[in-house]
Amino acid sequence: MMNLVQSRKSDRQSRSQGQRFMSGLIRSNRCRVGHLTVDRRQSRIDRTSVVTLVLACSLASSLTAAAFAATKEYRYTVGPHANVSVDTQYGAISIRPGSDNQVVVTAVFKSDNVEVDQQQNGNRIDIASHLLHGTDQPTGQVDYELLIPPDATVNLHSMTGPLSAERLHGDLTLEGAEAVVNVRDVENGHVHVRTMRGPVTLINVRNGHVEISSISGDVHLKSVTGTSVQASTGSGKIFYDGDFSSGGDYTFITHSGDIEALVPADVSADFRAHSVLGRVQHDFPLKPQHSRFSEEVGRSFVGSAGQASSEVVLRSFSGKIRLKQR
Amino acid sequence: MTCSDVERMLPEILDGAPDGAFQTAFDLHLKSCPECSDLVSDLKLITNEAQYLAASDEPSPRVWVRIEAQLRAEGLIREAQPVRPRPTLVPALLGRRWGAWLVAPVAAALVAAGSYVVSHRPAPSVVQQQTPPSASPAPSPGSQSSAATEAASLPATPASDATASETASTTAAVLAPVQQPAPRAAGAKAVEPVPSPEDEQFLSAVSTRAPSLRATYENQLQAVNADIRETQAYVDRNPGDIDARQHLMDAYQQKALLYQIALDRIQ
Repeated sequence: MMNLVQSRKSDRQSRSQGQRFMSGLIRSNRCRVGHLTVDRRQSRIDRTSVVTLVLACSLASSLTAAAFAATKEYRYTVGPHANVSVDTQYGAISIRPGSDNQVVVTAVFKSDNVEVDQQQNGNRIDIASHLLHGTDQPTGQVDYELLIPPDATVNLHSMTGPLSAERLHGDLTLEGAEAVVNVRDVENGHVHVRTMRGPVTLINVRNGHVEISSISGDVHLKSVTGTSVQASTGSGKIFYDGDFSSGGDYTFITHSGDIEALVPADVSADFRAHSVLGRVQHDFPLKPQHSRFSEEVGRSFVGSAGQASSEVVLRSFSGKIRLKQR
Repeated sequence: MTCSDVERMLPEILDGAPDGAFQTAFDLHLKSCPECSDLVSDLKLITNEAQYLAASDEPSPRVWVRIEAQLRAEGLIREAQPVRPRPTLVPALLGRRWGAWLVAPVAAALVAAGSYVVSHRPAPSVVQQQTPPSASPAPSPGSQSSAATEAASLPATPASDATASETASTTAAVLAPVQQPAPRAAGAKAVEPVPSPEDEQFLSAVSTRAPSLRATYENQLQAVNADIRETQAYVDRNPGDIDARQHLMDAYQQKALLYQIALDRIQ
Protein backbone atom coordinates (compact mmCIF):
# COMPACT_ATOMS: atom_id res chain seq x y z
CA MET A 1 0.00 0.00 0.00
CA MET A 2 2.86 2.38 0.81
CA ASN A 3 4.29 1.76 -2.64
CA LEU A 4 0.95 2.62 -4.17
CA VAL A 5 0.66 5.93 -2.27
CA GLN A 6 4.25 6.88 -3.09
CA SER A 7 3.67 6.08 -6.74
CA ARG A 8 0.64 8.33 -6.91
CA LYS A 9 2.48 11.16 -5.13
CA SER A 10 5.34 10.78 -7.56
CA ASP A 11 2.96 11.04 -10.52
CA ARG A 12 1.37 14.21 -9.18
CA GLN A 13 4.76 15.79 -8.46
CA SER A 14 6.12 15.10 -11.93
CA ARG A 15 3.02 16.52 -13.57
CA SER A 16 3.05 19.75 -11.50
CA GLN A 17 6.77 20.17 -12.21
CA GLY A 18 6.06 19.89 -15.94
CA GLN A 19 3.30 22.48 -15.72
CA ARG A 20 5.57 24.93 -13.87
CA PHE A 21 8.26 24.43 -16.47
CA MET A 22 5.85 25.10 -19.33
CA SER A 23 4.46 28.21 -17.63
CA GLY A 24 7.95 29.53 -17.20
CA LEU A 25 8.67 28.77 -20.82
CA ILE A 26 5.74 30.88 -21.96
CA ARG A 27 6.61 33.73 -19.63
CA SER A 28 10.29 33.88 -20.50
CA ASN A 29 11.54 36.05 -23.25
CA ARG A 30 14.00 33.48 -24.44
CA CYS A 31 13.51 29.81 -24.77
CA ARG A 32 15.26 26.95 -26.46
CA VAL A 33 13.46 24.47 -28.66
CA GLY A 34 15.83 21.83 -29.96
CA HIS A 35 18.80 23.61 -31.44
CA LEU A 36 16.78 26.76 -32.16
CA THR A 37 16.98 29.69 -29.76
CA VAL A 38 13.86 31.78 -29.94
CA ASP A 39 13.83 35.44 -28.99
CA ARG A 40 10.22 36.58 -28.87
CA ARG A 41 11.12 40.17 -29.60
CA GLN A 42 13.21 39.30 -32.61
CA SER A 43 11.72 36.09 -33.91
CA ARG A 44 9.19 35.95 -36.64
CA ILE A 45 7.45 33.07 -34.85
CA ASP A 46 4.23 34.52 -33.69
CA ARG A 47 2.60 34.01 -30.35
CA THR A 48 0.07 31.48 -31.69
CA SER A 49 2.81 29.15 -32.83
CA VAL A 50 4.51 29.23 -29.46
CA VAL A 51 1.26 28.43 -27.69
CA THR A 52 0.62 25.53 -30.06
CA LEU A 53 4.10 24.19 -29.46
CA VAL A 54 3.70 24.44 -25.73
CA LEU A 55 0.35 22.67 -25.79
CA ALA A 56 1.82 19.87 -27.88
CA CYS A 57 4.68 19.45 -25.43
CA SER A 58 2.26 19.40 -22.54
CA LEU A 59 0.06 16.76 -24.19
CA ALA A 60 3.07 14.56 -25.00
CA SER A 61 4.24 14.86 -21.43
CA SER A 62 0.85 13.80 -20.10
CA LEU A 63 0.64 10.82 -22.44
CA THR A 64 4.11 9.67 -21.47
CA ALA A 65 3.25 9.90 -17.80
CA ALA A 66 0.08 7.88 -18.33
CA ALA A 67 1.90 5.13 -20.26
CA PHE A 68 4.37 4.56 -17.45
CA ALA A 69 1.87 4.82 -14.64
CA ALA A 70 2.98 2.26 -12.06
CA THR A 71 -0.43 1.70 -10.54
CA LYS A 72 -3.91 1.01 -11.81
CA GLU A 73 -7.05 0.55 -9.82
CA TYR A 74 -10.23 -1.24 -10.85
CA ARG A 75 -13.53 -1.21 -8.98
CA TYR A 76 -16.50 -3.48 -9.46
CA THR A 77 -19.87 -3.65 -7.77
CA VAL A 78 -20.98 -7.20 -7.03
CA GLY A 79 -23.70 -9.11 -5.22
CA PRO A 80 -23.39 -11.82 -2.58
CA HIS A 81 -21.02 -14.72 -3.21
CA ALA A 82 -19.10 -13.09 -6.01
CA ASN A 83 -16.45 -15.03 -7.91
CA VAL A 84 -13.08 -13.33 -8.30
CA SER A 85 -10.23 -14.75 -10.35
CA VAL A 86 -6.73 -13.32 -10.71
CA ASP A 87 -4.15 -14.92 -12.98
CA THR A 88 -0.64 -13.55 -13.36
CA GLN A 89 2.56 -15.11 -14.55
CA TYR A 90 4.86 -13.16 -12.27
CA GLY A 91 3.99 -11.24 -9.16
CA ALA A 92 2.33 -11.24 -5.78
CA ILE A 93 -1.38 -11.47 -5.11
CA SER A 94 -2.79 -10.58 -1.74
CA ILE A 95 -6.43 -10.61 -0.90
CA ARG A 96 -8.29 -9.22 2.11
CA PRO A 97 -11.87 -8.49 3.05
CA GLY A 98 -13.33 -5.14 2.04
CA SER A 99 -16.88 -3.98 1.67
CA ASP A 100 -19.73 -6.44 1.13
CA ASN A 101 -20.59 -5.34 -2.39
CA GLN A 102 -17.42 -4.06 -3.95
CA VAL A 103 -14.25 -5.55 -5.36
CA VAL A 104 -11.27 -3.23 -5.51
CA VAL A 105 -8.23 -4.41 -7.46
CA THR A 106 -4.99 -2.48 -7.34
CA ALA A 107 -2.35 -3.55 -9.85
CA VAL A 108 1.24 -2.37 -9.45
CA PHE A 109 3.30 -2.67 -12.63
CA LYS A 110 7.06 -2.94 -12.98
CA SER A 111 7.05 -1.96 -16.63
CA ASP A 112 4.71 -1.20 -19.48
CA ASN A 113 5.35 -4.62 -21.03
CA VAL A 114 2.27 -6.04 -19.33
CA GLU A 115 -1.38 -5.33 -19.83
CA VAL A 116 -4.21 -6.23 -17.54
CA ASP A 117 -7.15 -7.96 -19.15
CA GLN A 118 -10.14 -7.49 -16.89
CA GLN A 119 -13.81 -8.10 -17.26
CA GLN A 120 -16.94 -8.44 -15.20
CA ASN A 121 -19.74 -10.77 -16.16
CA GLY A 122 -22.46 -10.37 -13.60
CA ASN A 123 -21.08 -11.54 -10.31
CA ARG A 124 -17.93 -12.91 -11.84
CA ILE A 125 -14.73 -10.91 -12.21
CA ASP A 126 -11.70 -12.10 -14.14
CA ILE A 127 -8.36 -10.33 -13.94
CA ALA A 128 -5.36 -11.57 -15.91
CA SER A 129 -1.92 -10.22 -16.65
CA HIS A 130 -1.20 -10.26 -20.34
CA LEU A 131 2.52 -10.35 -21.09
CA LEU A 132 3.54 -8.62 -24.26
CA HIS A 133 5.99 -10.36 -26.55
CA GLY A 134 9.50 -10.73 -25.14
CA THR A 135 8.56 -9.92 -21.58
CA ASP A 136 10.61 -11.66 -18.92
CA GLN A 137 10.15 -12.04 -15.20
CA PRO A 138 11.53 -8.68 -14.01
CA THR A 139 9.53 -6.66 -16.51
CA GLY A 140 6.48 -8.88 -16.52
CA GLN A 141 5.77 -8.64 -12.84
CA VAL A 142 2.45 -7.26 -11.69
CA ASP A 143 1.57 -7.21 -8.00
CA TYR A 144 -2.11 -7.29 -7.16
CA GLU A 145 -3.87 -6.22 -4.00
CA LEU A 146 -7.54 -7.03 -3.73
CA LEU A 147 -10.24 -5.99 -1.33
CA ILE A 148 -13.24 -8.28 -1.77
CA PRO A 149 -16.48 -9.20 -0.03
CA PRO A 150 -15.59 -11.76 2.66
CA ASP A 151 -17.95 -14.36 1.22
CA ALA A 152 -16.49 -14.25 -2.29
CA THR A 153 -15.08 -17.29 -4.03
CA VAL A 154 -11.49 -16.64 -5.01
CA ASN A 155 -9.12 -18.21 -7.55
CA LEU A 156 -5.53 -16.96 -7.50
CA HIS A 157 -2.76 -18.09 -9.84
CA SER A 158 0.81 -16.83 -9.92
CA MET A 159 3.90 -18.73 -10.96
CA THR A 160 6.18 -16.81 -8.62
CA GLY A 161 3.84 -15.51 -5.93
CA PRO A 162 3.68 -14.93 -3.09
CA LEU A 163 -0.03 -15.62 -2.67
CA SER A 164 -1.83 -14.63 0.48
CA ALA A 165 -5.41 -14.56 1.70
CA GLU A 166 -6.80 -13.66 5.09
CA ARG A 167 -10.03 -13.16 7.01
CA LEU A 168 -12.32 -14.63 4.38
CA HIS A 169 -15.05 -17.25 4.47
CA GLY A 170 -15.59 -18.11 0.84
CA ASP A 171 -13.91 -20.86 -1.14
CA LEU A 172 -10.26 -20.24 -1.95
CA THR A 173 -8.09 -21.79 -4.66
CA LEU A 174 -4.45 -20.75 -4.76
CA GLU A 175 -2.00 -22.15 -7.25
CA GLY A 176 1.59 -21.32 -8.09
CA ALA A 177 4.77 -23.06 -9.12
CA GLU A 178 7.29 -21.38 -6.87
CA ALA A 179 4.81 -19.27 -5.00
CA VAL A 180 4.92 -19.02 -1.24
CA VAL A 181 1.33 -19.46 -0.09
CA ASN A 182 -0.03 -18.02 3.14
CA VAL A 183 -3.63 -18.36 4.28
CA ARG A 184 -4.80 -17.26 7.70
CA ASP A 185 -7.97 -16.65 9.65
CA VAL A 186 -10.25 -18.36 7.16
CA GLU A 187 -13.37 -20.32 8.01
CA ASN A 188 -16.28 -22.23 6.53
CA GLY A 189 -14.81 -22.42 3.06
CA HIS A 190 -12.84 -24.77 0.91
CA VAL A 191 -9.13 -24.06 0.76
CA HIS A 192 -7.36 -25.70 -2.17
CA VAL A 193 -3.67 -25.06 -2.70
CA ARG A 194 -1.31 -26.42 -5.34
CA THR A 195 2.35 -25.56 -5.66
CA MET A 196 5.39 -27.04 -7.29
CA ARG A 197 8.01 -26.12 -4.70
CA GLY A 198 6.52 -23.15 -2.92
CA PRO A 199 5.95 -23.66 0.81
CA VAL A 200 2.38 -23.55 2.05
CA THR A 201 1.35 -22.14 5.42
CA LEU A 202 -2.19 -22.24 6.77
CA ILE A 203 -2.91 -20.66 10.13
CA ASN A 204 -6.23 -20.66 11.93
CA VAL A 205 -8.35 -22.23 9.23
CA ARG A 206 -11.59 -23.44 10.77
CA ASN A 207 -14.36 -25.72 9.65
CA GLY A 208 -13.09 -25.92 6.12
CA HIS A 209 -12.39 -28.46 3.45
CA VAL A 210 -8.65 -28.22 3.00
CA GLU A 211 -6.73 -29.82 0.17
CA ILE A 212 -3.04 -29.09 -0.36
CA SER A 213 -0.85 -30.64 -3.04
CA SER A 214 2.79 -29.81 -3.54
CA ILE A 215 5.63 -31.54 -5.29
CA SER A 216 8.47 -30.46 -3.07
CA GLY A 217 7.13 -27.62 -0.95
CA ASP A 218 6.82 -27.84 2.82
CA VAL A 219 3.37 -27.66 4.34
CA HIS A 220 2.78 -25.96 7.70
CA LEU A 221 -0.65 -26.23 9.28
CA LYS A 222 -1.37 -24.48 12.55
CA SER A 223 -4.82 -24.64 14.10
CA VAL A 224 -6.32 -26.05 10.95
CA THR A 225 -9.50 -28.08 11.38
CA GLY A 226 -12.34 -29.22 9.20
CA THR A 227 -14.36 -32.11 7.95
CA SER A 228 -11.63 -32.97 5.48
CA VAL A 229 -8.01 -31.86 5.69
CA GLN A 230 -5.65 -33.41 3.17
CA ALA A 231 -2.06 -32.48 2.47
CA SER A 232 0.38 -34.26 0.20
CA THR A 233 3.90 -33.40 -0.86
CA GLY A 234 6.71 -35.36 -2.42
CA SER A 235 9.97 -34.35 -0.81
CA GLY A 236 8.55 -31.56 1.32
CA LYS A 237 7.74 -31.88 5.01
CA ILE A 238 4.35 -31.65 6.64
CA PHE A 239 4.05 -30.08 10.05
CA TYR A 240 0.73 -29.98 11.86
CA ASP A 241 0.10 -28.15 15.12
CA GLY A 242 -3.50 -28.49 16.19
CA ASP A 243 -6.10 -30.70 17.81
CA PHE A 244 -7.49 -32.67 14.86
CA SER A 245 -10.99 -31.60 15.88
CA SER A 246 -14.28 -31.18 13.98
CA GLY A 247 -14.73 -34.92 13.64
CA GLY A 248 -12.94 -34.74 10.34
CA ASP A 249 -10.72 -36.86 8.16
CA TYR A 250 -7.11 -35.75 8.23
CA THR A 251 -4.74 -37.31 5.72
CA PHE A 252 -1.13 -36.29 5.36
CA ILE A 253 1.07 -37.98 2.73
CA THR A 254 4.70 -37.52 1.72
CA HIS A 255 7.09 -39.51 -0.39
CA SER A 256 10.42 -38.72 1.27
CA GLY A 257 9.50 -35.78 3.46
CA ASP A 258 8.94 -36.10 7.20
CA ILE A 259 5.57 -35.72 8.87
CA GLU A 260 5.30 -34.27 12.33
CA ALA A 261 2.08 -33.69 14.24
CA LEU A 262 1.95 -31.80 17.52
CA VAL A 263 -1.28 -32.39 19.42
CA PRO A 264 -2.70 -31.57 22.87
CA ALA A 265 -3.06 -34.24 25.53
CA ASP A 266 -6.83 -34.28 25.16
CA VAL A 267 -6.81 -34.95 21.43
CA SER A 268 -9.69 -37.10 20.22
CA ALA A 269 -8.88 -39.10 17.14
CA ASP A 270 -8.12 -42.46 15.61
CA PHE A 271 -4.55 -42.54 14.38
CA ARG A 272 -2.98 -44.65 11.69
CA ALA A 273 0.58 -44.02 10.63
CA HIS A 274 2.78 -45.99 8.29
CA SER A 275 6.08 -45.34 6.60
CA VAL A 276 7.20 -47.96 4.12
CA LEU A 277 10.90 -47.30 4.62
CA GLY A 278 11.08 -44.61 7.30
CA ARG A 279 10.70 -44.61 11.05
CA VAL A 280 7.44 -43.97 12.85
CA GLN A 281 7.01 -42.98 16.47
CA HIS A 282 4.56 -41.44 18.93
CA ASP A 283 5.22 -40.24 22.46
CA PHE A 284 1.86 -40.62 24.11
CA PRO A 285 -0.31 -43.67 24.77
CA LEU A 286 -2.79 -44.79 22.18
CA LYS A 287 -5.51 -47.29 22.83
CA PRO A 288 -5.16 -50.28 20.54
CA GLN A 289 -7.93 -50.72 18.05
CA HIS A 290 -9.08 -53.44 15.75
CA SER A 291 -7.86 -52.76 12.27
CA ARG A 292 -7.23 -54.63 9.08
CA PHE A 293 -3.86 -52.93 8.94
CA SER A 294 -1.19 -54.93 10.66
CA GLU A 295 1.13 -52.98 12.89
CA GLU A 296 4.84 -53.17 12.20
CA VAL A 297 6.97 -51.94 15.05
CA GLY A 298 8.95 -48.88 14.10
CA ARG A 299 7.23 -48.60 10.75
CA SER A 300 3.62 -48.08 11.72
CA PHE A 301 1.22 -47.58 14.57
CA VAL A 302 -2.53 -47.76 14.94
CA GLY A 303 -4.50 -46.54 17.94
CA SER A 304 -7.02 -44.08 19.27
CA ALA A 305 -7.04 -41.24 21.75
CA GLY A 306 -9.99 -39.71 23.60
CA GLN A 307 -13.35 -40.30 21.99
CA ALA A 308 -11.72 -40.87 18.60
CA SER A 309 -13.96 -38.32 16.96
CA SER A 310 -11.64 -37.67 14.01
CA GLU A 311 -9.60 -39.97 11.83
CA VAL A 312 -5.97 -39.20 11.20
CA VAL A 313 -3.91 -41.00 8.55
CA LEU A 314 -0.22 -40.26 8.24
CA ARG A 315 1.58 -41.96 5.36
CA SER A 316 5.07 -41.68 3.97
CA PHE A 317 7.16 -43.82 1.67
CA SER A 318 10.58 -43.08 3.12
CA GLY A 319 10.06 -40.11 5.42
CA LYS A 320 9.88 -40.17 9.20
CA ILE A 321 6.55 -39.81 10.97
CA ARG A 322 6.28 -38.47 14.46
CA LEU A 323 3.24 -37.80 16.62
CA LYS A 324 4.09 -35.65 19.61
CA GLN A 325 2.18 -34.33 22.57
CA ARG A 326 2.26 -30.56 22.98
CA MET B 1 -10.39 -65.42 11.52
CA THR B 2 -9.47 -61.76 11.69
CA CYS B 3 -8.46 -59.25 9.05
CA SER B 4 -4.83 -59.48 10.10
CA ASP B 5 -4.96 -63.28 9.72
CA VAL B 6 -6.18 -62.84 6.20
CA GLU B 7 -3.49 -60.29 5.43
CA ARG B 8 -0.79 -62.55 6.84
CA MET B 9 -1.97 -65.62 4.96
CA LEU B 10 -2.77 -63.83 1.74
CA PRO B 11 0.19 -65.12 -0.30
CA GLU B 12 -0.67 -68.73 0.54
CA ILE B 13 -4.32 -68.13 -0.12
CA LEU B 14 -3.57 -66.72 -3.54
CA ASP B 15 -1.36 -69.70 -4.32
CA GLY B 16 -4.22 -72.00 -3.33
CA ALA B 17 -2.14 -73.65 -0.63
CA PRO B 18 -4.35 -73.55 2.52
CA ASP B 19 -6.19 -76.60 3.70
CA GLY B 20 -9.95 -77.08 3.68
CA ALA B 21 -10.65 -75.84 7.21
CA PHE B 22 -8.64 -72.71 6.68
CA GLN B 23 -10.29 -72.13 3.36
CA THR B 24 -13.73 -72.40 4.93
CA ALA B 25 -12.87 -69.89 7.66
CA PHE B 26 -11.37 -67.65 5.04
CA ASP B 27 -14.49 -67.77 2.88
CA LEU B 28 -16.69 -67.04 5.88
CA HIS B 29 -14.57 -64.03 6.77
CA LEU B 30 -14.73 -62.70 3.24
CA LYS B 31 -18.50 -62.83 3.30
CA SER B 32 -18.61 -60.75 6.45
CA CYS B 33 -15.76 -58.34 5.68
CA PRO B 34 -16.10 -56.25 2.52
CA GLU B 35 -12.64 -54.72 2.95
CA CYS B 36 -10.88 -58.08 2.91
CA SER B 37 -13.13 -59.22 0.12
CA ASP B 38 -12.14 -56.20 -1.97
CA LEU B 39 -8.50 -56.72 -1.13
CA VAL B 40 -8.53 -60.36 -2.23
CA SER B 41 -10.38 -59.61 -5.45
CA ASP B 42 -7.94 -56.83 -6.28
CA LEU B 43 -4.95 -59.09 -5.73
CA LYS B 44 -6.47 -61.90 -7.78
CA LEU B 45 -7.11 -59.46 -10.59
CA ILE B 46 -3.51 -58.24 -10.45
CA THR B 47 -2.21 -61.80 -10.42
CA ASN B 48 -4.32 -62.76 -13.41
CA GLU B 49 -3.35 -59.70 -15.40
CA ALA B 50 0.31 -60.14 -14.56
CA GLN B 51 0.29 -63.59 -16.14
CA TYR B 52 -0.33 -61.94 -19.49
CA LEU B 53 2.61 -59.64 -18.86
CA ALA B 54 4.80 -62.59 -18.18
CA ALA B 55 3.82 -64.19 -21.46
CA SER B 56 4.13 -61.07 -23.56
CA ASP B 57 7.43 -59.79 -22.23
CA GLU B 58 9.49 -62.93 -22.46
CA PRO B 59 12.98 -62.22 -23.74
CA SER B 60 14.42 -63.71 -26.86
CA PRO B 61 15.86 -67.22 -26.45
CA ARG B 62 19.20 -65.77 -27.52
CA VAL B 63 19.47 -64.01 -24.17
CA TRP B 64 19.29 -67.32 -22.36
CA VAL B 65 21.67 -68.94 -24.79
CA ARG B 66 24.21 -66.25 -24.11
CA ILE B 67 23.71 -66.48 -20.36
CA GLU B 68 24.21 -70.22 -20.62
CA ALA B 69 27.35 -69.66 -22.67
CA GLN B 70 28.62 -67.20 -20.09
CA LEU B 71 27.95 -69.67 -17.28
CA ARG B 72 29.73 -72.40 -19.17
CA ALA B 73 32.67 -70.11 -19.79
CA GLU B 74 32.85 -69.54 -16.05
CA GLY B 75 32.74 -73.26 -15.43
CA LEU B 76 29.49 -72.98 -13.55
CA ILE B 77 27.77 -75.44 -15.86
CA ARG B 78 29.82 -78.54 -16.57
CA GLU B 79 27.29 -80.86 -18.13
CA ALA B 80 24.97 -80.12 -20.95
CA GLN B 81 22.23 -79.48 -18.49
CA PRO B 82 19.02 -78.46 -20.14
CA VAL B 83 18.60 -74.79 -19.70
CA ARG B 84 14.96 -74.00 -20.19
CA PRO B 85 14.68 -72.07 -23.37
CA ARG B 86 12.17 -69.53 -22.18
CA PRO B 87 12.16 -69.14 -18.41
CA THR B 88 10.10 -66.31 -17.03
CA LEU B 89 11.63 -63.20 -15.57
CA VAL B 90 8.82 -62.56 -13.13
CA PRO B 91 9.58 -64.52 -9.98
CA ALA B 92 6.29 -63.73 -8.30
CA LEU B 93 4.48 -65.39 -11.13
CA LEU B 94 6.58 -68.54 -11.31
CA GLY B 95 4.05 -70.37 -9.23
CA ARG B 96 4.35 -74.09 -8.80
CA ARG B 97 5.49 -74.75 -12.33
CA TRP B 98 9.02 -73.75 -11.40
CA GLY B 99 9.25 -73.92 -7.68
CA ALA B 100 11.97 -72.85 -5.32
CA TRP B 101 14.22 -75.82 -6.15
CA LEU B 102 14.89 -74.44 -9.60
CA VAL B 103 14.92 -70.76 -8.75
CA ALA B 104 17.60 -71.09 -6.09
CA PRO B 105 20.42 -72.65 -8.17
CA VAL B 106 19.70 -70.52 -11.21
CA ALA B 107 19.65 -67.40 -9.08
CA ALA B 108 22.88 -68.43 -7.40
CA ALA B 109 24.49 -69.07 -10.76
CA LEU B 110 23.32 -65.73 -12.08
CA VAL B 111 24.63 -63.99 -9.00
CA ALA B 112 27.99 -65.62 -9.48
CA ALA B 113 28.06 -64.73 -13.15
CA GLY B 114 26.88 -61.22 -12.37
CA SER B 115 29.55 -60.78 -9.72
CA TYR B 116 32.20 -61.87 -12.17
CA VAL B 117 30.91 -59.54 -14.83
CA VAL B 118 30.63 -56.61 -12.47
CA SER B 119 34.12 -57.14 -11.10
CA HIS B 120 35.65 -57.33 -14.58
CA ARG B 121 33.60 -54.58 -16.19
CA PRO B 122 32.89 -52.21 -13.37
CA ALA B 123 31.83 -49.02 -15.08
CA PRO B 124 29.25 -50.17 -17.61
CA SER B 125 27.84 -52.85 -15.39
CA VAL B 126 27.31 -50.55 -12.43
CA VAL B 127 25.67 -47.95 -14.58
CA GLN B 128 23.47 -50.57 -16.13
CA GLN B 129 22.33 -51.78 -12.75
CA GLN B 130 21.64 -48.37 -11.34
CA THR B 131 20.02 -46.95 -14.40
CA PRO B 132 16.44 -47.89 -15.09
CA PRO B 133 15.57 -48.49 -18.71
CA SER B 134 15.97 -45.41 -20.78
CA ALA B 135 13.01 -46.29 -22.91
CA SER B 136 10.67 -46.19 -19.96
CA PRO B 137 12.13 -44.32 -17.01
CA ALA B 138 8.70 -44.01 -15.47
CA PRO B 139 6.90 -47.30 -15.94
CA SER B 140 3.21 -47.34 -15.40
CA PRO B 141 1.75 -48.93 -12.30
CA GLY B 142 1.11 -52.56 -12.67
CA SER B 143 3.60 -52.97 -15.42
CA GLN B 144 6.34 -55.51 -15.25
CA SER B 145 9.50 -54.57 -13.40
CA SER B 146 11.59 -52.01 -15.19
CA ALA B 147 14.72 -54.11 -15.31
CA ALA B 148 12.79 -57.08 -16.60
CA THR B 149 11.24 -54.92 -19.26
CA GLU B 150 14.68 -53.76 -20.24
CA ALA B 151 15.93 -57.29 -20.42
CA ALA B 152 12.98 -58.24 -22.58
CA SER B 153 13.59 -55.37 -24.95
CA LEU B 154 17.31 -55.89 -25.32
CA PRO B 155 17.24 -58.85 -27.71
CA ALA B 156 15.19 -56.83 -30.14
CA THR B 157 18.03 -54.38 -30.60
CA PRO B 158 20.90 -55.45 -32.80
CA ALA B 159 23.45 -54.02 -30.41
CA SER B 160 22.31 -56.28 -27.63
CA ASP B 161 23.20 -59.33 -29.60
CA ALA B 162 26.53 -58.07 -30.73
CA THR B 163 28.96 -58.30 -27.88
CA ALA B 164 29.57 -60.33 -24.83
CA SER B 165 29.78 -57.23 -22.70
CA GLU B 166 26.23 -56.37 -23.55
CA THR B 167 25.21 -59.88 -22.64
CA ALA B 168 26.94 -59.30 -19.36
CA SER B 169 25.08 -56.08 -18.93
CA THR B 170 21.88 -57.88 -19.66
CA THR B 171 22.73 -60.41 -16.99
CA ALA B 172 23.35 -57.64 -14.52
CA ALA B 173 20.11 -55.96 -15.46
CA VAL B 174 18.22 -59.20 -15.03
CA LEU B 175 19.74 -59.59 -11.62
CA ALA B 176 18.84 -56.13 -10.46
CA PRO B 177 15.21 -56.64 -9.47
CA VAL B 178 15.70 -60.20 -8.29
CA GLN B 179 18.91 -60.20 -6.35
CA GLN B 180 20.00 -56.67 -5.63
CA PRO B 181 19.41 -55.83 -1.99
CA ALA B 182 16.85 -53.08 -2.14
CA PRO B 183 18.59 -50.20 -3.90
CA ARG B 184 17.40 -47.07 -2.14
CA ALA B 185 16.79 -43.55 -3.25
CA ALA B 186 20.40 -42.48 -3.11
CA GLY B 187 21.41 -45.05 -5.65
CA ALA B 188 18.35 -44.57 -7.77
CA LYS B 189 18.69 -40.79 -7.88
CA ALA B 190 22.42 -40.81 -8.52
CA VAL B 191 22.08 -41.52 -12.21
CA GLU B 192 19.36 -39.81 -14.16
CA PRO B 193 18.22 -41.79 -17.18
CA VAL B 194 17.46 -40.26 -20.51
CA PRO B 195 14.07 -38.53 -20.35
CA SER B 196 11.16 -40.30 -21.98
CA PRO B 197 9.69 -38.81 -25.17
CA GLU B 198 6.79 -37.47 -23.14
CA ASP B 199 9.13 -35.76 -20.71
CA GLU B 200 11.19 -34.35 -23.57
CA GLN B 201 8.03 -32.96 -25.11
CA PHE B 202 7.01 -31.48 -21.78
CA LEU B 203 10.39 -29.81 -21.25
CA SER B 204 10.34 -28.54 -24.79
CA ALA B 205 6.98 -26.92 -24.16
CA VAL B 206 8.31 -25.34 -20.98
CA SER B 207 11.37 -24.07 -22.85
CA THR B 208 9.19 -22.46 -25.47
CA ARG B 209 6.83 -20.83 -23.05
CA ALA B 210 9.18 -19.88 -20.24
CA PRO B 211 12.87 -20.54 -20.94
CA SER B 212 13.91 -19.22 -17.56
CA LEU B 213 11.83 -21.88 -15.80
CA ARG B 214 13.11 -24.88 -17.72
CA ALA B 215 15.87 -25.75 -15.27
CA THR B 216 13.48 -25.60 -12.35
CA TYR B 217 10.93 -27.83 -14.03
CA GLU B 218 13.60 -30.23 -15.21
CA ASN B 219 14.91 -30.64 -11.67
CA GLN B 220 11.43 -31.22 -10.33
CA LEU B 221 10.68 -33.70 -13.10
CA GLN B 222 13.85 -35.63 -12.34
CA ALA B 223 12.94 -35.74 -8.66
CA VAL B 224 9.44 -37.00 -9.38
CA ASN B 225 10.73 -39.61 -11.82
CA ALA B 226 13.24 -40.76 -9.24
CA ASP B 227 10.44 -41.15 -6.71
CA ILE B 228 8.46 -43.19 -9.21
CA ARG B 229 11.42 -45.44 -9.98
CA GLU B 230 12.21 -45.90 -6.31
CA THR B 231 8.65 -46.83 -5.47
CA GLN B 232 8.28 -49.03 -8.53
CA ALA B 233 11.41 -50.94 -7.59
CA TYR B 234 10.06 -51.47 -4.10
CA VAL B 235 6.69 -52.62 -5.41
CA ASP B 236 8.44 -55.02 -7.76
CA ARG B 237 10.16 -56.57 -4.80
CA ASN B 238 7.07 -56.44 -2.59
CA PRO B 239 4.07 -56.87 -4.84
CA GLY B 240 1.74 -57.52 -1.91
CA ASP B 241 2.49 -54.20 -0.19
CA ILE B 242 -0.71 -52.26 -0.70
CA ASP B 243 0.67 -49.10 0.93
CA ALA B 244 3.63 -49.08 -1.42
CA ARG B 245 1.28 -49.42 -4.37
CA GLN B 246 -0.67 -46.46 -3.07
CA HIS B 247 2.57 -44.48 -2.83
CA LEU B 248 3.33 -45.41 -6.42
CA MET B 249 0.00 -43.97 -7.46
CA ASP B 250 0.72 -40.88 -5.37
CA ALA B 251 4.05 -40.46 -7.14
CA TYR B 252 2.34 -40.58 -10.52
CA GLN B 253 -0.18 -38.04 -9.31
CA GLN B 254 2.72 -35.79 -8.37
CA LYS B 255 4.03 -36.05 -11.89
CA ALA B 256 0.59 -35.23 -13.27
CA LEU B 257 0.47 -32.23 -10.95
CA LEU B 258 3.82 -31.03 -12.26
CA TYR B 259 2.63 -31.28 -15.85
CA GLN B 260 -0.57 -29.51 -14.96
CA ILE B 261 1.07 -26.63 -13.09
CA ALA B 262 3.52 -26.07 -15.90
CA LEU B 263 1.30 -26.40 -18.93
CA ASP B 264 -1.90 -24.92 -17.57
CA ARG B 265 -0.42 -21.73 -16.35
CA ILE B 266 2.64 -20.77 -18.34
CA GLN B 267 1.63 -18.20 -20.93
